[in-house]
Parts: sequence; C-alpha cells; structure tokens
Amino acid sequence: MLRASVAAEEAGIPSSTLVCDGFLGLAANTSIGLGMPNIPVATVPGHTGVQSKEELRRNILDVTLNDVVNNLTGETSVATEESEPGARDIVVKGGFDEVNRYFYEHGLADGLPVVPPTVERVEQFLRHTDRDPDEVLGILLPDNRAATVWSVAVNGVMAGCRPEYMPVLVALVDAMADPYYGVEHSGNTPGGETLIVLNGPIVKELGFNYTQGVMRDGFLPNTSVGRFWRLYLRNVAGFLPHKNDKATFGNTWRVVVPENEDVVKEIGWEPLSVDMGFAAGDNTVTISRFTGGNHISSISGSTPEEMLPYLADGVVRQYSWQIMFTVGQGMGTLRPLILLGPIIARTIGAWKWSKRDLQQYLYDHARMPAHEYERILRDWTAKPTWNLEEEWRLGRIPKVFFESSDPERRVPLVWDPEDYMIVVTGDPARNAAYVFAHNGVLGYPVTKKIDSLKALPRSRAPKKERHVAAP
Amino acid sequence: MADSNDGYYEALWPRSPRQVQLKPLAKRLDTLEGKRIAQLWDYVFRGDEVYALLEEGLKERFPNVQWVSYKEFGNTHGGEEREVVASLARRFKELKVDAAISGMGC
Repeated sequence: MLRASVAAEEAGIPSSTLVCDGFLGLAANTSIGLGMPNIPVATVPGHTGVQSKEELRRNILDVTLNDVVNNLTGETSVATEESEPGARDIVVKGGFDEVNRYFYEHGLADGLPVVPPTVERVEQFLRHTDRDPDEVLGILLPDNRAATVWSVAVNGVMAGCRPEYMPVLVALVDAMADPYYGVEHSGNTPGGETLIVLNGPIVKELGFNYTQGVMRDGFLPNTSVGRFWRLYLRNVAGFLPHKNDKATFGNTWRVVVPENEDVVKEIGWEPLSVDMGFAAGDNTVTISRFTGGNHISSISGSTPEEMLPYLADGVVRQYSWQIMFTVGQGMGTLRPLILLGPIIARTIGAWKWSKRDLQQYLYDHARMPAHEYERILRDWTAKPTWNLEEEWRLGRIPKVFFESSDPERRVPLVWDPEDYMIVVTGDPARNAAYVFAHNGVLGYPVTKKIDSLKALPRSRAPKKERHVAAP
Repeated sequence: MADSNDGYYEALWPRSPRQVQLKPLAKRLDTLEGKRIAQLWDYVFRGDEVYALLEEGLKERFPNVQWVSYKEFGNTHGGEEREVVASLARRFKELKVDAAISGMGC
C-alpha cells in the first residue's frame, strides 16, 4: 500500500494510505526506507476482518474519513533524516558481554549471543571470496540498504559461521536481493520463514548434515548459515519484530537443508538445482518462504501406487488460505516443497518412476473439490470476487480449474506439475516425508549458483590491506 | 567493566547505509470538491466495502467529488505489484487523477 502511495506522491499526486490501527508502527518504519517518513496515513480503527458491517461503517465514517480529507488537503509534517554509523565504523569496544549487550540493546542481534564482528574476523571471511568488499549484491527493502559483500561477512561472523562458508553466504544474499523472491514481503502477517536448500559437492566439502535430523540444530554449517539468513534480514533488509516485521506469530529461522545427491543419483533422478535450471554438480542455494509444514509419518507400501495416495492427501492438508497464491493474489505462484525420505525415493525410483512422474501424480491427486476451493477463497478468507468460473472466463487461470460446472469436480493446488519441488533428504532409514506450505509470490523460489570455494590454508592465508574507518 | 575472561573486541556496525534520500511529498489539494480520486487496492481486508463507505461519506461533504475505481489499476500487492505500481504515474495522467487513496494496510 505504501509503495503505491509513494509512487503517487512521486507523480505529484497527494495520497492517503488506509492503515489498520495495529499497523501504524509498521507504516511509520516502512516509510523511512521509502524516503518519505512523513507520508500521511489514515487510521482504520481495529481490524476490518472482525467487524460487523455497522462497526465498519462507524469506524470509516467517524475516523478514517476525516483522516483521508486531512491527508489530501491539510498540512504535512516535515521529514527529518536520522544519522547512522558508517559502513565500516566500529560501534562498540569492550568485552564479550559488553559487545553483546550493545548489539542486543540496539536491535542488532537475534536474542542469542553473537560473535563480535571485528575487522580481523571479517577479513578472514573476505579472503574466501574474490568479490570486492564494496560490491553491492542488491538493494534490500524495507530499509533500502545496500547488500554489500562487506556486510555479508560482518553478519556471517556474528552468526557463528566459519570463514569458508562465505561463498554460500554471498549466494544467499544474491538470492535474497532477486526481485522474484520478494524480500520486501518478509514482514507480512503470516510470518513465514525461508528454507534454504543446498545442492552440489559443497554439501560434503563443508560438512553439512544431509541425513538423519536434517532440520535439527546441532550441525555447525546447517545451523550457523540458517542463523545468518535471519540476522541479515534483520540488520540489512531491516526486518525487526515490532517494527518492520509484522508476523502475527512468526517462526524461528530454519537450518539449511541439503539434498542427499547420492540417493538422487542412485535412482536416476536430478537434484533440485537441475529442476531450477542449473547443471548437475553445480553448487547452488535455493530459497523459498514457507508459512509452515508437517511431517508425513510412516508412508507405507511397496509400490508408488500404494504409497502416494497418503502423501498426496498429506499435501492437500497443508493448504488452506495459501491457495490464494494459485488463484487470486499470486496467480500461479504456489510452489509446494516436499522433502522425501531416501527410502521413499528409492521405492518410487525402483518402479522406474521419474521425478516428473511423481510431480504429475501429485498434480493429479493432491486436489480438492471446486466448491471447497471457492469457499476458502471467497467466504473464509474474505476475498470478495474470486470464483473459478469467472476467473477462467476472464482468461486469468488455466482450464483445469473449470473443466465442468460440477461443484464436486476436483481442482489442483498448483498450475503445473513442475510447481511441486521435490528434495530427497533426511533419515535414510525411515519412510517419511515433510510437506511445506508455500507463501507464493511473497517468497517465490530463487536459485543462485555459489562461487567456487577458495582453497586457502586456514592459518597462512595472505592478509589483504583493506581500508577501515577509524572509530 | 569486563572481567578477565571476557576479552576485548572492537565490533563493527553490521548494517549498511540506506540508499534512499528524503523525497518531497506532492502538493496537497485546496479542496476535494470537483476532484478525481483514485482508489488503489490490494483486494483484501474488505477494501471494496471501505471504498463504498468513503464514497458515501465524502459525497456528503464534497458533492462533486469523482472517483476512479480500483478496477482501473489492478492489484497493488501481489503477483502484479511491480507492474501495477510502475504504471501508476501513467494511469493517473490518463485518468486525470487529482489524488489517490491506497489500502488496505491491515
């Protein structure tokens, strides 16, 4: 809403942004990064989602209306710019506790102690990339800050990463800055969290866990790189709870999930990285944002036909309001992710089913009745206009959503079979899967290739001269 | 004061400079009477009802106020957001818009 209002103001058109009570703080913080901290907003009392028609009428006519008139015709406040430290400024000197107290009190840490980011440690990280420290990987909303290689190293140190993870961290921020991902939506109310999938030989080279307990903390690379993601979102993109992060409940950051490419190769499938357009053997990170997920336990059977009805049913049960990203706000951007235990993948593969066959099966069988689909969109989540027949007749959705007028006809969760992302990982000895509920266009999958690892002797790396501003 | 096992560190700022300068707001209008107001909407949170109420309320105070429906612009928050927001300046000109209301931030 504010981004549209800023576009209006830039075009010389005065604007008024309608903001519910509980979102006024978010609006105030977001407007700073948009360069218009004084952009006027009109208060909508309470939340429209729980008000009767009479309450809504009273709130809009008694409160919002006056704000709108004042926003469009009245005086506007004067904007002021706050001063901040420079990119390479030292902001605190002292012991471990003192540094951590400063970082926590200034909103620069996630609540756990951080490794103090000293020049020496940052330079250790920079030795593991050929990129210039000043290279800008992108500009990140809502704070509108430059995602520099330098800042990647600083936050990597803080997260407890090892210096040799630096190419992975750079690739992650490159992905974060990709417009297709939509980092600016990371503070939305469903509070989804990014999952990072890692592919390529780098999984073994850096010692990532890709087997039992793959989503559990306790493995340095998986855990620290996952923590880095959330710290970078906080410190450079600017997503802080109670400010620009409006998650209703939220999720803690997820550890990195690498694919078990040994099993993928054994059954003749391709890894996720290839599905995302890269060559087999490339080191890649894939990011996408999920609002939740569930373990599908004890998938039983000795053939795909015996196993997969249960899995398809489990997929459907993860999806409710998120189908608005299939028909509605996102239009075909729903990308469910399924982590498939190696036993399941091997059993499916043994029957000469390709990953494409599995995707097709889920497309054909993970379906819900059309009337239920419409009820979720139109009635339950208060999306007032959406009706599958109307959307199809307007040419906005594929024919598969309106192949007949039978309300019991079953419609898919996604537009295409390839929208299902399949990753083989987890305990090789257990027959289970994990299904993630995707956040659609507000965290669309993006894959980036990781720069080559630099084979530096850890204790004898040449020290580069870098300019660091005096504190 | 740090204890003897607490070490000594000089810690860097983990943020990076903002890349945006302060931008001026548009000149406000003298009155809404006779002006054309654009409705921008993200198609959620009962914005259609809110705009109907605003139309009703503003008409009482400014009988000749005119409206340009949200249907003219597309969804401002979703898959088409970038294209829709980028097109606004042109659309405002084409539709002779004087002011804009944007919702729903809820």
